[in-house]
Amino acid sequence: MRQYNLPRRTVLTGAAAVLATPHIAGAQAKAVRIGMQATFSGPLAQSGITHRNAIEMEVDRINAAGGLAGRPIEMVYRDSKSQPQEAARVARELVNSDGCDMLLDAESSAGSFAVQEVVRDLGVLCIHSSSETSSLTADPKYRVASAFRSSRQGIHDAIVGGAYAAKVADARKLTKWATCSPDYAYGRDTTAQYLEYLKHFKPDIEVISQAWPKLGQPDFTEVITKLIQAKPQAMYTALYGGDLTAFINQGNIYALFSAMQVFSVNLADYTALTAIKNLPAGIDTGNRYVVTCPDTAANREWGEAYRKRFKEYPTNWSWESSTGMRFFEGAAKKAGSADPKKLAEALRGLKIDCPFGVDGTVTMRAEDQTVVGYAIGWGTTLTKPPYVADVKAADWGTIFELETEWKKRNGFI
Amino acid sequence: MDLDALLGCVTSSSCLVTQTTSGLIVGMLLFMVAAGLTLIFGVLKIVNFAHGTFYMLGAYIAYSAFMFTGSYFLGVLAGGLGMAIFGVIFERVLISRVYGANVLMQLLICYAVVLICDDLVKIVWGPDFYAMGMPPAFQVPPLFIAGGVVPPFYIMLILVALAIGGGLSLLLGLTKIGKIIRAAAHNPNMVSALGINTTLLYSLVFAVGGMLAGLAGGLAAPVRSLTPGMGFSILIESFIVTVIGGMGSIGGALIAAVVLGLIRSFGTIGFPLFTEGLMYIAMIIILVFKPSGLFGKEIV
Amino acid sequence: MARIFRDIAIGILAIAVLAAVPHLTPSKAFQDFVIRCSSMALFATSLNLLVGYTGLSSFGHGLFFGLGTYSFALLMQRTGISLPMAFIATLLINAVTAVAVGAICIRLRLIYFAFVTLAMQMLMHSVIISWVGLTGGDQGLQGGIPRRVVAGIDLGDQYNLYIFAAVVLVIGLLIMRHIVNTSFGTSLRMIRDNEARASFLGIVVWRVKLTVFVLSAVFASVGGVVMSLFVSGAYPELINWPISGDAIFAIVMGGVGSFLGPTVGTMILLLLNDVVTRQTEYYGLALGIIILAFALGLRRGLLDFITERLGGRPAGGIS
Repeated sequence: MRQYNLPRRTVLTGAAAVLATPHIAGAQAKAVRIGMQATFSGPLAQSGITHRNAIEMEVDRINAAGGLAGRPIEMVYRDSKSQPQEAARVARELVNSDGCDMLLDAESSAGSFAVQEVVRDLGVLCIHSSSETSSLTADPKYRVASAFRSSRQGIHDAIVGGAYAAKVADARKLTKWATCSPDYAYGRDTTAQYLEYLKHFKPDIEVISQAWPKLGQPDFTEVITKLIQAKPQAMYTALYGGDLTAFINQGNIYALFSAMQVFSVNLADYTALTAIKNLPAGIDTGNRYVVTCPDTAANREWGEAYRKRFKEYPTNWSWESSTGMRFFEGAAKKAGSADPKKLAEALRGLKIDCPFGVDGTVTMRAEDQTVVGYAIGWGTTLTKPPYVADVKAADWGTIFELETEWKKRNGFI
Repeated sequence: MDLDALLGCVTSSSCLVTQTTSGLIVGMLLFMVAAGLTLIFGVLKIVNFAHGTFYMLGAYIAYSAFMFTGSYFLGVLAGGLGMAIFGVIFERVLISRVYGANVLMQLLICYAVVLICDDLVKIVWGPDFYAMGMPPAFQVPPLFIAGGVVPPFYIMLILVALAIGGGLSLLLGLTKIGKIIRAAAHNPNMVSALGINTTLLYSLVFAVGGMLAGLAGGLAAPVRSLTPGMGFSILIESFIVTVIGGMGSIGGALIAAVVLGLIRSFGTIGFPLFTEGLMYIAMIIILVFKPSGLFGKEIV
Repeated sequence: MARIFRDIAIGILAIAVLAAVPHLTPSKAFQDFVIRCSSMALFATSLNLLVGYTGLSSFGHGLFFGLGTYSFALLMQRTGISLPMAFIATLLINAVTAVAVGAICIRLRLIYFAFVTLAMQMLMHSVIISWVGLTGGDQGLQGGIPRRVVAGIDLGDQYNLYIFAAVVLVIGLLIMRHIVNTSFGTSLRMIRDNEARASFLGIVVWRVKLTVFVLSAVFASVGGVVMSLFVSGAYPELINWPISGDAIFAIVMGGVGSFLGPTVGTMILLLLNDVVTRQTEYYGLALGIIILAFALGLRRGLLDFITERLGGRPAGGIS
């Protein structure tokens, strides 16, 4: 059977690993197949491709070091075209027909929930490496014993963003706020949570206007003018990717960014930073992925290695999938096996070394099987590389405390 | 729903000016795409579902030409001309084979072209999104008119779109070729019987339609993001515009495009979470009372 | 009468063959394929009642497919009623909606009819996206469909769902087949061929059009129920406009003039999708070229092409 886009090097290293270990019984050297599904076509193709790039790097590295408990990794990639029903079908196909032992699901929110139901029905081991919707792992209603998450979470971003914004707002006396976020669950939920924590840290905030452009809307003019009309002192936006680029370009000609202080949770990602031609200075931004957060040698090295191989900087998606692969690796080491059941057992509570951890490690929290300890920080934009300055990584102690409160309030624990 | 905010806006001159120009700019770019769509339908009775793709390709070509020459004007021109040529090829190679076929067969062929072009864009330009960036000439602060904010770049866009719309109307209304096109829309057999080369005529119509969409893509490239599949949302809105205006009516498309732009700009203030739904409701209501659109001819 | 018995016999045979397949090959992908095929073929065939038999080209038939998935999944999640009751209630909801939507749409003609149905679908899509409290908005209905047990058979099990989908498909097709073979079916074809003449001959055109609109909506929702069971939920993509496109492509590629054309077209499209997606990420490029070759080579659906080649005249067709 042909697997498209199986990187030649993966096959070669895989083959080399098999050849180099002829004394190991065939069953042991059998490749571990990991099914990876994502969007590789349409406007969001970039997400799938940069997820895959990072995976290829990790597979090469892991296979060169002997694979998962002695077995080389073989990836099977599939495009789900951003459709949940295709996501469900593809997940079943990967497990049922392609013989994948486990899944690395890089679907965005609705797709990840569709995959979650397949995981529930089939009981297969799965790490979600793209969905940031908090409820996927936080709400026990949706939780599945064999499903994990290696991507960031909306609630973490909200707490960190709120705390940071409150400090800036205090210093500059910003009390009148507006928001502009994409009109779908991610945008609405993160905006509501952000405002909640902003008010938690600084109660005298007043929200005077909220705009909800559609995802992929070509023109944001009416939204921009609405925001300008409202005359807020500060604005929060959860727009990202091409939408954020268009918004900034269109906002520029209305001089939006000199009219108010803008807080953009998703701007510090190279996809946006490099695409915007006239990046305004002084926008406060959360880091998606930048080589300077965490500001460590390991992170820089990884980012530069990625750039050398793929001729562009990694994205937020890249580190999330890279982390997913590292968790498979760490779990296999701990379990001494690549058996999915043992891996799942080993994953719960697993702490691994990771370039994206705020202290060089990240943990797969046992209670809700989601990653914690990754670097989240906020900084301000510069017009030129490195694009973002003074990124300060947040303190996870505060995040845990407020996250637990949030879970209690929502009846999750 | 926020009717107070809407009332507050329409009674304040600054809000009225800003939101009206904002609606106009959205509407005028939409009109350029929709005008080609409605022209092609009027003359050829072809519903060009690949029209959004013309817009996308126009934007990408303009982007590349801008990167190459550094001139926004040349970029836009390249987008328009490129799509005029593409339109002719598209008509000759594919569409001419399904004249008179069922609309669903035309839909199938256009769908195939959309799929192919989206992937070709991904192969040629890559999956990343691009932004052209504002040409230096327009990197100036916005104007303030009656308290409202109006960027010079948008004034330019509105004027250019108006000029193109006006030029098109003059072309159709006054020139010989315009008369032939209108006659062909009315009665193609008659035009053919008069010894006029309809093959050439049909190609010309596609060239004009393609050019309009390509120009719109190029004009919008400094402020909109370029991604594979970006033609999709503009296609839906263009269809709403052509249907509301009456399929085949360019004047109708102009009015409908402006109305749609205004629905969006004021809808976002009054009904921020249901702007999209408002457009469909407007379309349904108009069709219920005018079954062939505002200025469409009765279908018999 | 003999025709009905022949059709039923063929239907039973088809179910028997499908039921036997899993004992011959363990392919789970085949079962998934049949389940999806059942859903989409019911949906496409129901659309062909409008397109091929009545000459009403709807672009918004996905409204009823999607409404089928949402009403069924919501009834299962939010109320305690049994699966068969939820199934019947879904059909009723769709019938009532179709009466209202159809009453507005059938006043319009040709391309305007097509676009007003599309607007109706997109309006429903907007409502579903906006009504987050009920529908989960763009995330879709999460958490799966509970209590998938009918008469002791658990439809959560893949084999059971596979048999269920096959039976539903065959029954659905048989009923639609019967409908087009009655005098009502004759009225549909007369309206398609010449509306004025049909009216002159005493057919109350609007009543017939509305009836077939409602019937086709009900069958589309049956396809929606099967899809809802397959994905264990409901998602806005299932009511977005590409889903209507899928049904249109299925009937155009399979053949509008043959009763089984839409089913054949569905199989072609799903096969292409599944095979091409496995081979290349330039799925659109490959599929686009295949569709072009198909459309320009045959200039009609596959079954219509074969029927004509064999010297017959397709039973339906669009003028």
